[in-house]
Amino acid sequence: MSPVRAPGGGQEAIVAAERLVAEARFGGGSGWLELGQITERLSAAVDRVMGEGGLWAPELAARAFRQAQGDVLEAAQLLRAHRSTLPRLGITPAVSTGELRVVRRISSAFRNPPGGQILGKTMDYVGRLLDLLPEEEGRARAAQAAAAQHGPSHSHDFAHAHAHAHTHGPGPTPAHRHPHRPGQPGPEPVPVPSSAPAAPQPPGAGEVERTPAHVLAVFREMGLVAPPSGAADGDPEPCDITRQPIRPGAPRSAWLQTMARADTGSLLHLWYGSDWRPAEHEVPGELRHGALPVRVEHPHTGRPVTVAEVRVSEVQTFHSLTRESGLPTNLDVGYGICFGHNERKAISMAGLDLLLAHHEGAADLQHDVLLTLDGLDSTGYVQHLKLPHHVEYRSVIERAHAAREAAPDSGDTV
Amino acid sequence: MPDTLTRERRCELLAAAEHDEIVPLAERLLTEGAFPRPTVVKPPEVGMVVLQVREPVEETRFYLGEVLVTECSVEVDGVPGWCMREGDDRVAALAGALLDAVAAAGLPARTDIDSLCAAIAERRAAEDAAEWADVTATTVNFEELT
Repeated sequence: MSPVRAPGGGQEAIVAAERLVAEARFGGGSGWLELGQITERLSAAVDRVMGEGGLWAPELAARAFRQAQGDVLEAAQLLRAHRSTLPRLGITPAVSTGELRVVRRISSAFRNPPGGQILGKTMDYVGRLLDLLPEEEGRARAAQAAAAQHGPSHSHDFAHAHAHAHTHGPGPTPAHRHPHRPGQPGPEPVPVPSSAPAAPQPPGAGEVERTPAHVLAVFREMGLVAPPSGAADGDPEPCDITRQPIRPGAPRSAWLQTMARADTGSLLHLWYGSDWRPAEHEVPGELRHGALPVRVEHPHTGRPVTVAEVRVSEVQTFHSLTRESGLPTNLDVGYGICFGHNERKAISMAGLDLLLAHHEGAADLQHDVLLTLDGLDSTGYVQHLKLPHHVEYRSVIERAHAAREAAPDSGDTV
Repeated sequence: MPDTLTRERRCELLAAAEHDEIVPLAERLLTEGAFPRPTVVKPPEVGMVVLQVREPVEETRFYLGEVLVTECSVEVDGVPGWCMREGDDRVAALAGALLDAVAAAGLPARTDIDSLCAAIAERRAAEDAAEWADVTATTVNFEELT
């Protein structure tokens, strides 16, 4: 690549070009875009910027998204660059994702898993149509909601929500039936894998829990999933891909960290379009979204202290892939987790993790996962292509001319 | 005066406090001379902590990402105070460290600090209950068509 120099008026052109961008950011007839508006109304974009930037910092992510004029990859790059200027103050003790305080939890494997199914905030079961709500009505609804939040009616809303949650009629509906509570009469539903109605039913089915045990535990109780290998391996220190280069053959901790920071689109494409995928698809046994505590060691007492919370999306996906030994006796499991609410990313990550675990030692697959998913890498490559390559291009032209002059005249004019 | 909160629990609540909850209290106690002149051992520093996760499939540890935090250490009457909280609010981190030190030193102002912590705990519990009420309204049992 040629060095970027802009003599003879080029500098002025660059400054003028930057001014045009600034006009787009600050000019026009609309008001200043507040950070609170971005974090509240465009939370999916903010979450994605944090996930791909590798830094949980909602306000900084909103700032980056605004500066990038809505370009998520550019915003993630800005956040990643800012991250590189910050000192690392410590590493948390390992937190188990079993501590996740859920606000959404579904299972595609069980109709009624222990801990319950909570749809949470989702449009998964309704039509996705463009909302042509008149602008005035939208403004009025937002103003009404803001007034309710700041006014005395909030406690009423809370009470109403409680009443709604507990006093609905007893008749179940396909999409909305309230959970059985301990001490209340009612049917005791049991979890049933959709493909195995006669499977054993674990206790506690039907109760809705704030921090439910993983569905994985049910499969383990059934003897369908192998025990974890982490402890048997001596619980190795995680690889840190931000501090050391990685290559195929890197440990599981490296590929999980890589995918958690990956560009969502690249991750989705690599999994969805992978030749390594079997004909039948995997089933997400559990998908959760919720809050995970960030704990550090108290410097004076040595005991853990929760200093923050992050929201994450987590998926465990299952597949009965046939192994060389014959019929599968164990299910393969894939794991995905990322900052924020990004189920597409977590499902894709879990799918790739499953393939990596099943096709152990597949260097091509590991290469693609470890070295092609980072948004900063790939967009950086694209960005650099737009910078002047004049010398390189002139060399290409000269070589083409030289080759043409040296070639014998074949008389072929096509 | 009995210490009703553990040091860690107080730190957690001060870390979860809003800027407008802890900064005015620290300023008021400072203005009233409720504690001796503090020493700033480590000025508020914005940085990151690496979030280490143990995943459930193989129970291996890995680094999920980093979290923006601000950390500050002070000393009041020979007793260290510390605060780490999410985000980049240096003033709030300094206030948190001051309040932690004053409470740990057992000074009379600890009553005010623990009252604030109780209010923060109550607010967080109410928010959590409201959130849970909202999401449990979406509890579902899928029916199997036979």
